[in-house]
Amino acid sequence: MAITRRELFTTVAKAGVPAAVALTVGSKALQAEEIPVPSAAVGLLYDASICIGCKACEAACSEANDTPEDISGDQLHQAPTDLNELTRNIIKLYKPEDGSPYSFVKRQCMQCLDPACAAGCPFQALHKNPETGIISWTADKCIGCRYCTITCPYHIPRFQWQGYNPRVTKCELCSDRLEKGLKPGCTTVCPTGAVIFGPRTVLLAEAKQRIKNHPGRYYQERIYGETDNGGTQALYLSRVPFEKLGLPELGTESVPARTLRWQRRLYQYFALPALLYAGLVQVIRTSLKGHEDEAHEREKETGLRAQL
Amino acid sequence: MSSITITNASADQSRWERAVPVYGFPVVNRFFLGLVAMTLVAFILTAYRELAGLGPVSGMNDAFGWGIWKTFNVMVLTALGSGAFAVGIAAWVFRRKRLHSLMRMALLTSFLAYACGLLLLGIDAGRPWNFYWIVFPWKWNMHSPLAEVAICMSIYAMVPLAIENIPPVLERLWYFDSRLRPGVERFERRLHYFFPWIIAAAYLLPGMHQSSLGALMLLAGERVHPLWQTPWLPFLYLGAATFMSFGCVAGTTMLCCVVWKRAMDMEVLDEAARITAWLIFGWMGWRLLDILFRGALGTAFHFDRFAGVFWLEMILVGIGGWMLRRSLRTHETRMMFLGYIFSSLGGMIYRFSPTTLAFRPNPESLYFPTTIEVLVSLGFISMGIAGFLLIVKRFAILPAPLYEWHDMASYFRFRRPYIRWTGYFKYGHFGENESETTDSH
Repeated sequence: MAITRRELFTTVAKAGVPAAVALTVGSKALQAEEIPVPSAAVGLLYDASICIGCKACEAACSEANDTPEDISGDQLHQAPTDLNELTRNIIKLYKPEDGSPYSFVKRQCMQCLDPACAAGCPFQALHKNPETGIISWTADKCIGCRYCTITCPYHIPRFQWQGYNPRVTKCELCSDRLEKGLKPGCTTVCPTGAVIFGPRTVLLAEAKQRIKNHPGRYYQERIYGETDNGGTQALYLSRVPFEKLGLPELGTESVPARTLRWQRRLYQYFALPALLYAGLVQVIRTSLKGHEDEAHEREKETGLRAQL
Repeated sequence: MSSITITNASADQSRWERAVPVYGFPVVNRFFLGLVAMTLVAFILTAYRELAGLGPVSGMNDAFGWGIWKTFNVMVLTALGSGAFAVGIAAWVFRRKRLHSLMRMALLTSFLAYACGLLLLGIDAGRPWNFYWIVFPWKWNMHSPLAEVAICMSIYAMVPLAIENIPPVLERLWYFDSRLRPGVERFERRLHYFFPWIIAAAYLLPGMHQSSLGALMLLAGERVHPLWQTPWLPFLYLGAATFMSFGCVAGTTMLCCVVWKRAMDMEVLDEAARITAWLIFGWMGWRLLDILFRGALGTAFHFDRFAGVFWLEMILVGIGGWMLRRSLRTHETRMMFLGYIFSSLGGMIYRFSPTTLAFRPNPESLYFPTTIEVLVSLGFISMGIAGFLLIVKRFAILPAPLYEWHDMASYFRFRRPYIRWTGYFKYGHFGENESETTDSH
């Protein structure tokens, strides 16, 4: 009985050899944590420097998605203060106190290449389409846990707080309009072409062209979403720092890849938990035997029925 | 809980030998009725929540999508309810044999904490009817920490933990009527045959989901304050659960001993306190080293609420650990009990922080639970406590010295001969004296 711990470790080790081999072989696949770009990835390119803040896209968005306008502000105009259960798309204004350049910003789902919302979603209610890369929400699978509202680094999915049958609202790039050969609502009405729709590769080329044509105009001469957070399908150009527009600097590695790396490895093929389980069963078997013998001895001594 | 110095002779006499029901105290008293009333209030408010939605009843908002139902009743209270995991591993895997006398308390508190937590998890979910996906493993998102928590936790509470709680029920049936004995004994044999697999699952599953509770906040990234956000979050969550649950099991047992005037077995309590103290210092050391190596220590000296919460947590856990160590030398039960209270409070703050106190949504926003939220939360805690009070008075859960069992048997034989269920104790032995006692009423 004195060598219990050693016993545990040796048992675990014995069973561990084949499992460890399996893990090392499997880890080759794990090394390649590069995020695949969907074959037909579509997206938006929003150029904050030419947006005039007319909010036509907001109205077009609710029309395209057939949602009632959010008139909670003054009961007359569609003027939501933030994304909410009726608003998938919003134009906000960044205006610094010190008089330095202001900017509008259009906020909607970034359609990340490796989305944190879908990584956390327990039953795949938020799912990234492997072809178009559009992340859509399925009512039949959502349990309403609101984990997506916590994981999204851009704070996009919104939960409906009222009613017995709440829904999660986020931009799905008007995927039913795309099927009919139409463009997303917001891109059809923009008077200055500040937001355009297209395949991600085309949009990236267009954005690079704009940076080339207007040297010194764009912040860091950089496209937000090209590599940020592992790459997104909504791309941004801006005069002012992206952080001021609510687009945090997250680095080039996606949030799930960065944070869940070890979690994913530990549970890969369920090998380690199974190994631990086998070891535990062995040790507990021996313990149970000893415990039962002892209990029955006490039973004879005390004349009272053994309790296990 | 006066300071008693235990000598060898008295220690032997107060040795916890077997679990004995709490007898001679009525189940229904004013406190119990209060708990039932709280539970009923919570049920009524729950019905309202199901109709009105989460917005009208809670302080949750777009920035703080999770309120105290998840962050306190699930994240914090299931840590306190990990006794079946932590005490069980010490007893079964590391063979700390004396801790077996605490096992029934551990199993019961765990089951109640998990059951109440899971019920509230279902109420907190916006679309709970979709939980049926849990029976289709190919629909799970295997890499989601939340799927891990939801699936693992419900399977654990409903299968291994529930099965581990069966022996006291079987024992009750065994004593209840001699005609049931052959069946009960057959069932017990079958149960013991499968026990190693069940017990092992009862350690693997909580190990997985208690750590995944920490992994939940990994995805929140920078929005969790650097004093808490670390790749070690799952490990530290599990570590906090181990010492908190030791505190919960041993502390509850001590409290029960005081309330119901039971002798305390200082040998068992000392062993539990020693293990808890080691767990506490190991955990604190790991936490501080992690903060140091990540270079986040500077933020602990900023004058803000995060540093305040951090130091409060550290001081509570540290003082708790120190008091436990001290109680081992001085044998003061009061010191030991307070040590458990302080360290568990500190652990509770730690488990509560990443989702709430140290969560910094962007844009900055505030969350404070509404009265309804607090009432529902307390109502489900009350339900657990009421269940505990009922069960320890009807089943053999609380450990006691041998004489307690004989006292109980004579108490029922002479003071309550008319109670039907005392058949349970009349045949304290193997039934050999049944013929003499059956005709007494």
